[in-house]
Amino acid sequence: MKATNPPIVVSPQEQQAQTQALFNSIGDGAIATDEFGKIVRVNPMALELLGYTENEILNKWFPRKIIAVDDNDQPLNLIDRPITQAFLTGRPVSEKMRYRTKKGGSIAVAVNVSPIILDDRPIGAIEVFRDITTDLEIDRMKSEFISLASHQLRTPLSAIKTYAHMLIDGFMGELTPPQRKSLHTIVAATDRMNELISTLLNITRIESGSITVAPKHIHIARLLDEVVKELAHAAEGKRINLTFQATKHDPIVRTDSLIVKEVVSNLVANAIKYTPDEGTVTVALKARPHTVVISVADSGFGIPKQAQAQIFTKFFRASNVVHRETSGTGLGLYLVEGLTEQLGGKVWFESEENHGSTFYLSLPHVVSRKPKRATKRK
Amino acid sequence: MDSILIVEDDIDLNAAYKLILEKAGYNVKSAFNGQEALAILKDYKPQLILLDLLMPIMGGLEFLQNYELQKKHPEVKVLIFTNMENSPEVTEAYKLGAHRCIIKSWTAPQNLARVVRDSLDDKAEKKLKV
Repeated sequence: MKATNPPIVVSPQEQQAQTQALFNSIGDGAIATDEFGKIVRVNPMALELLGYTENEILNKWFPRKIIAVDDNDQPLNLIDRPITQAFLTGRPVSEKMRYRTKKGGSIAVAVNVSPIILDDRPIGAIEVFRDITTDLEIDRMKSEFISLASHQLRTPLSAIKTYAHMLIDGFMGELTPPQRKSLHTIVAATDRMNELISTLLNITRIESGSITVAPKHIHIARLLDEVVKELAHAAEGKRINLTFQATKHDPIVRTDSLIVKEVVSNLVANAIKYTPDEGTVTVALKARPHTVVISVADSGFGIPKQAQAQIFTKFFRASNVVHRETSGTGLGLYLVEGLTEQLGGKVWFESEENHGSTFYLSLPHVVSRKPKRATKRK
Repeated sequence: MDSILIVEDDIDLNAAYKLILEKAGYNVKSAFNGQEALAILKDYKPQLILLDLLMPIMGGLEFLQNYELQKKHPEVKVLIFTNMENSPEVTEAYKLGAHRCIIKSWTAPQNLARVVRDSLDDKAEKKLKV
């Protein structure tokens, strides 16, 4: 026979003391309200952040004492407050805003509210708010660093590249063929370094949440055509047959063209890189009712089955290509996945080792298959 | 002969652009920040300004505001030459009347001369506006 644990009996006073202790131990500001929004519990961190004493805040209607303001110090409407929203929806609510302190200043806070539900009815709410002033400052410094680093790292590279090109173009006199070849190597290396800087900066932007997506209506087929033309030179170098199969229509998608271009360029460049000489790389476009799907198919080395689950992981490179191609960083597909998420799209692949790979990119929001013309005046 | 003003704080790059554009047949002067550029522009009337954005003393955006490009010099083409691609600074430069933006580290000398020629060419301008 199984032994059963005896029921734990806790008196209401003990329960009350436990709840208060739990509340006080929260490292962020915390308040509890009753069903009318009256503050019935407050912890020391909330008092410290707002600058009130317990007596000043307890039993007061929450919007009277905890005043939420926007970035221009204008008070928020009661309906927009997370506590109100949690009461109305019966669900937890998270928001960022500013709280006015007793002294008259304000602090940036991340607010999380959970309604207290009893018999399907909200009987109160618990709000936890965290001072995010330092987080915001760090985010700002990160963005500033990204912008500055991109400039500072690239300035010397620009000088190296410009002078190497000037030498190649005969600005400083005639060159011998080996000298010319060496300079082309220098230019190619600076290009690789530039690409690496771009990749690292983009990754930092994604990871810090500072990437800006600027959607516009774009002709996706035109963009793919551009990418294929830009990479034609790289394909020719390996005698790879790079083609673009357009659809009959030119779908218009509302998306960020620069980010899409970055993603597709990465996929096509990868396909060229990991396909042996004289292979094929085919870019195709299909319009579906609510998405467009871009595919990049190659006749390359393929991705071994055991590596497929990790292919979008940062710094990962499949074992079958590591010894063939030494220049990869393992960042390209990680960046592709991150950028695609920013666009609200999806990226996936099908591959078999030694039988090539096909990468797919789907993007939402097909606006129309044909650009709409303005209504004709009669 | 068309005239160009280069505003670039990096001495090596400034010298390189000057050499490239002079070889392409332009009359070229150099400034190393926005303030120097404004001083030179009192007497020198170029058709095109090649402008860096991040510079000490006075950066490219502040220069554009002070020069009052759109209001006082709408005929002058300003090419932004920067490494800060897709940045808010580039968007701001366009708002202030910049004609085009080129990424330095991607641009080979022959392309620089070509972009300058295209920008000075009315046909190219119309094409760009399409």
